[in-house]
Amino acid sequence: MWNFFSICLRIGNFTFGGGDPTISAFYREFVLRRNWLTREQYATAYALARVTPGTNLLAFSAGAGFLLHGWAGALAAVLAITIPSSLLVVWLTMVYQAGRVNPMATAIAGGIIASAIGMMIASAWQLVQPRIRDGQWLRSLLPVSGAMIALSVYHVAPITILLIAGVIGYCWPPREKRA
Amino acid sequence: MNVFLLYLLLLKATTTSFSGMTSLPMLRHDLVAKHHVLTDRQLNTAVAVGRMGPGPAGIYVVSVGYFAGGTPGAIAGWLAMVTPAFFIVPLLSYAGRKAQHPRVRSVIQTITAAAAGLVLSICLPLARDAITGALPLAIATASFLILNFTRVETLWVIAGSAFAGLLGFLI
Repeated sequence: MWNFFSICLRIGNFTFGGGDPTISAFYREFVLRRNWLTREQYATAYALARVTPGTNLLAFSAGAGFLLHGWAGALAAVLAITIPSSLLVVWLTMVYQAGRVNPMATAIAGGIIASAIGMMIASAWQLVQPRIRDGQWLRSLLPVSGAMIALSVYHVAPITILLIAGVIGYCWPPREKRA
Repeated sequence: MNVFLLYLLLLKATTTSFSGMTSLPMLRHDLVAKHHVLTDRQLNTAVAVGRMGPGPAGIYVVSVGYFAGGTPGAIAGWLAMVTPAFFIVPLLSYAGRKAQHPRVRSVIQTITAAAAGLVLSICLPLARDAITGALPLAIATASFLILNFTRVETLWVIAGSAFAGLLGFLI
């Protein structure tokens, strides 16, 4: 149990770049190096994490923790991954709030904030891109543009837009690929 | 704002998103536009701060909580971030095979695509606040291109943007 906790601590807090690199680091540790999880267990947790709302990485580690040590394992994994990085985030937010009077700090923060815009556009693009490459460009671009128009022009509440998108997805499943 | 209400609003945003940044439009709708406990600039900063350190992309919710309600708000943000993760346990126990069902996957795919559209459309008001001249525009464009077409770590992109901002100040 302590081993599991310390691996979560290490991987969760020293792997930069968000969910997917971290989840693949877990694969290396849990499946390849330690044989704690089978390949099938890993794949099931991975697939279910994508269906679980919220952050995929947290759902995945809660799932892996549950498979290994029950509820205590799920809790340990989530705590190990989120507590140190959350403290860091709060500290950075405080630093920013204190530093915004200083013009040099404001200039630095301005650069970082501008880059956050680029990051957001990149993250949105990366969500849709694999679908488009699969040849499902109509099924991806229609919800994207529909959601943009509904929010920017008609000011529909985001949760309504997501619900409508879900219903459309239910009624319009992708055609099976034929060989 | 009442911390419990803040938690519920943040939870609403995290529970309806299926990956990193897609909780952003809902947060902006509730906290910036409706309840006015957060400014666009603070939301922007929260996103930037969230990407500066390690941890999942959704961690910016903690910073949002701190902006909206101090330390209790940050705790509410942390709780809202971790709560949905535990939904996987009943899923693992009972519905293990449903995730591969084509209809379930199709629902998730369209919701994710719509969420990407929502993220793109809120970039507009956020960009109006953040992009005040040629330098921020160049930084934003460069960040987008680097993140999309290279495998450079996010941390370096952030460090580079900070350096560019500093350079712009000194020159």
